[in-house]
Amino acid sequence: MMKQTQKSLKQFVSNFYLVLILIFLYAPIMTMMVLSFNTSKSRTQWGGFTLNWYRQMLSDPNIVSALYNTLLIAFISAFAACIIGTAAAIAIESMKPVSRTVILGITNIPMLNADIVTGISLMLAFIAFGISLGFKTILISHITFNIPYVILSVMPKLKQTSKSTYEAALDLGASPVYAFFKVVFPDIMPGVLSGFLLAFTMSLDDFIITHFTRGAGINTLSTLIYSQVRRGIQPSMYALSSVIFLAVLILLLITNYKPKERKQIPGMAPSNSASSAPSGPERNRFDQIQKGAMAAAAVAIVLSVGFITIKKYTAADSNELYVYNWGEYIDEEVVSMFEEETGIHVTYDMFETNEEMYPVIEAGAVMYDVVCPSDYMIQKMMENNLLAEINFDNIPNISQINPVYMEMSKSFDPQNRYSVPYCWGTVGILYNTKRLAELGVAAPESWNDLWDPALSGEILMQDSVRDAFMVALKGLNYSMNTTELSQLQEAKQLLIDQKPLVQAYVIDQVRDKMIGGEAAVGVIYSGEMLYIQEEAETLGLDYQLEYVIPKEGTNLWLDSWVIPSNAANKENAEKWINFLCRPEIALRNFEYITYPTPNQGAFELLEPEIQENKAVFPDIQSLENSEVYRYLGEEDDAVYNSLWKEVKSR
Amino acid sequence: MNQPLIDLQHISKHYDNTMVLDDLSLTVKENSFVTLLGPSGCGKTTTLRIIGGFETPDTGKVIFNGTDITSLPPNKRSLNTVFQKYALFTHMTIAENIAFGLKIKNKPKAYIDDKIKYALKLVNLDGYEHRSVESLSGGQQQRIAIARAIVNEPRLLLLDEPLGALDLKLRQDMQYELIRLKNELGITFIYVTHDQEEALTMSDTIVVMNQGYIQQMGSPESIYNEPENAFVADFIGDSNIVPGIMLRDELVEIFGAKFTCVDKGFGTNRPVDVVIRPEDIDLVEPGQGILGGTVTHLIFKGVHYEMEVTTPDGYEWLVHSTDLFPVGKKVDIRVDPFDIQIMNKPASEDEEAIGVNE
Repeated sequence: MMKQTQKSLKQFVSNFYLVLILIFLYAPIMTMMVLSFNTSKSRTQWGGFTLNWYRQMLSDPNIVSALYNTLLIAFISAFAACIIGTAAAIAIESMKPVSRTVILGITNIPMLNADIVTGISLMLAFIAFGISLGFKTILISHITFNIPYVILSVMPKLKQTSKSTYEAALDLGASPVYAFFKVVFPDIMPGVLSGFLLAFTMSLDDFIITHFTRGAGINTLSTLIYSQVRRGIQPSMYALSSVIFLAVLILLLITNYKPKERKQIPGMAPSNSASSAPSGPERNRFDQIQKGAMAAAAVAIVLSVGFITIKKYTAADSNELYVYNWGEYIDEEVVSMFEEETGIHVTYDMFETNEEMYPVIEAGAVMYDVVCPSDYMIQKMMENNLLAEINFDNIPNISQINPVYMEMSKSFDPQNRYSVPYCWGTVGILYNTKRLAELGVAAPESWNDLWDPALSGEILMQDSVRDAFMVALKGLNYSMNTTELSQLQEAKQLLIDQKPLVQAYVIDQVRDKMIGGEAAVGVIYSGEMLYIQEEAETLGLDYQLEYVIPKEGTNLWLDSWVIPSNAANKENAEKWINFLCRPEIALRNFEYITYPTPNQGAFELLEPEIQENKAVFPDIQSLENSEVYRYLGEEDDAVYNSLWKEVKSR
Repeated sequence: MNQPLIDLQHISKHYDNTMVLDDLSLTVKENSFVTLLGPSGCGKTTTLRIIGGFETPDTGKVIFNGTDITSLPPNKRSLNTVFQKYALFTHMTIAENIAFGLKIKNKPKAYIDDKIKYALKLVNLDGYEHRSVESLSGGQQQRIAIARAIVNEPRLLLLDEPLGALDLKLRQDMQYELIRLKNELGITFIYVTHDQEEALTMSDTIVVMNQGYIQQMGSPESIYNEPENAFVADFIGDSNIVPGIMLRDELVEIFGAKFTCVDKGFGTNRPVDVVIRPEDIDLVEPGQGILGGTVTHLIFKGVHYEMEVTTPDGYEWLVHSTDLFPVGKKVDIRVDPFDIQIMNKPASEDEEAIGVNE
């Protein structure tokens, strides 16, 4: 009796442990899958079940083309790697042991090599040999890193295959080629197939290498998702990720599916039983899977040939424009409208941070014609001679831009020669009225209110060096672009003092945490206020979320269009800028992006309700003390970073 | 009918720095069963692979039925091989395995089906057409390998230690089976083995090889009874190889005792090697034989007793006898003159190297 309870206890503990591990491994994925069915965009609020995100995913041409690219690259690269890898494995197998070990070692290195090294080296090699980055460079890179996986999975099968079966086939009159395909290949087929699936999965998975070797206008799913991080990942990406997860899961199941091996027959030579080819009905099923995979590969090849030819015809048009913009920073329709109106073919690409964009332009790996960086980055690009002067004769619609913003631009583009404002915004404090009332704290109006001990554990700060220091420096009435060490030290001390009160240092979770009612106040970029307010309404929250720009002034940011000095289609770029300055177009973009537009014409077309929404369009007067970030130079950047490190490590 | 089917002319072959075959010449007549016999590494398998086309000799020629096929690839040669490890195609059924060669030759389906049936009957495996290779035992797999080779009606069948992986009983059965097949089909067999019993049982001609040289070639009886050198004598069966002096024709002195023999022409007072098979030694009561000694070892072997008799000079004679002489008993040795085989001592160092290494 005792023993039995002990046994069942032991079983329970081991099961419990197993369940715990599974939860640990799969809870994040399950969360994502659940969120992909959430009506609300929020990550903390359940707004009801919907398939909308899946629908949106399928109707978004960016996603569809990225999906197509991803699958196509995965198929072709896996297929090519299989042919090259199998041939290599056969060659390696027939080498003398010493050279075999050496060559195997060499072919394995790329697999162990850090992706980032492989990616950068490939990019450099492509540029050095004058191969323009694009679909084919991604494909070549994927084939390159896939070959070792194929070799690795084919080699053991080759080792098991006795050389004498090949000789026996020759002996029976088969030519070497016939013998290979009839006798050797079926024996190593499971290895080739699992190599194919492995390569396919690796290719599907890859982000880093693709990121470095892709060219203008080509996105795979991973690079597309990455480019959307800035504005918060859209739930349609959750849907997409769920689909990818399931696809990879199914692939892995197929890869690992192996019919049970037959029991060894007594008296049979052990060396002969090494071949694990299944037999009987199991073998038939396995054969079918193999045939299925072969058929799928064939289809992929046909598709790819078709795709490449179509691409060629469309790309033959020399009237091109290469656009490099933030993710989700334009209404797709606007691009099509521009193309229709001007007949210019637009290749549209996205970046996630200014810092990511900069080296691409600097290296000239991809020649973009028009780019949309932020204020301080424009200054840095100007200082490094990366920008071309804009010919404003070609941009009559510049008159639609409110002169206030042209004035604002002067802080980084002193003579208004290089940039045209596109979107702007502020940083302020988002607060939960109900929560503050409960705490007995008045609505904030100064940055210094974020040091109120009554708000302990209720504050969300931005987790980035310049934004955090901006809060402290502005509170001290210093410039947020200061390089005075004493002022910075003071700000640092303030931030350290504030630390115990802060609930978390986050970036775009401020939005979700505030909607979820998790904190009373948070430092936030104004850009998504319209969304936040709409969401609060849809969810029927019993508290209000208000936005305030503290009286000491704030960071005023501006994203503007610029033309790189190496642009090949400068006039098209100017046409593009002019088009975007057209009031109806700017309005469309505003409705999509919801970030304040500097376009006066567009502003006038807006409903009064939105015009008067101070969270979206704050009074210019209230921005009196506000500044635009300036590029401080490398040395001062380093000072900021080291001080910020001190704050974070306390 | 008596023209050679295979004529190997001055074949040499190296691997890296190792000489595997050194100026080897050999002819094989149509319809014979020739066995290449020798220890591992003697070059027998290499010889077979050169005939099969899987290796190219460094020098020398392979003549098949009067044509030089030295550089012809294996798939163009009208001979077939049965491999040591069977080398069946595991992803095919038995029937598909057997039909492999015929399909390449584009034979009609009816012909192929007939051949499969016939071949399976020949190897006593009728009805196995649709079985998978792995459902067969080792012996059955080997018979399929043979069937797969013979349906192509080769003039020459090469067998590379085909029974090596089988257990004793199965091996003996297969030996008879191979002899029967050879007689039924009238195909020339070249058979490679390191098992002397297998060689003696099956062959018309045995070629004893060592270190890339042919040591002796002849019928099983002549190889056994009249080994030409110590290596052959030692490799084939058990032997007592002792130094002797040929006093004159038909008289040899061993350890001081004079034995009458039947060999002539070695001159007088010449040092020789003397081979006496253990079963040819008669043990008799002391005083009745030629050389005296003491039984020092005794094992019962079933058919006979195996004894060691030590003579005063310290040599231990191996003796097989159905009569029992207990350990410690004093006995005399007696040998019939025609059971004494006289061999020349190796004349040079080179020959020595060939001979006595094993």
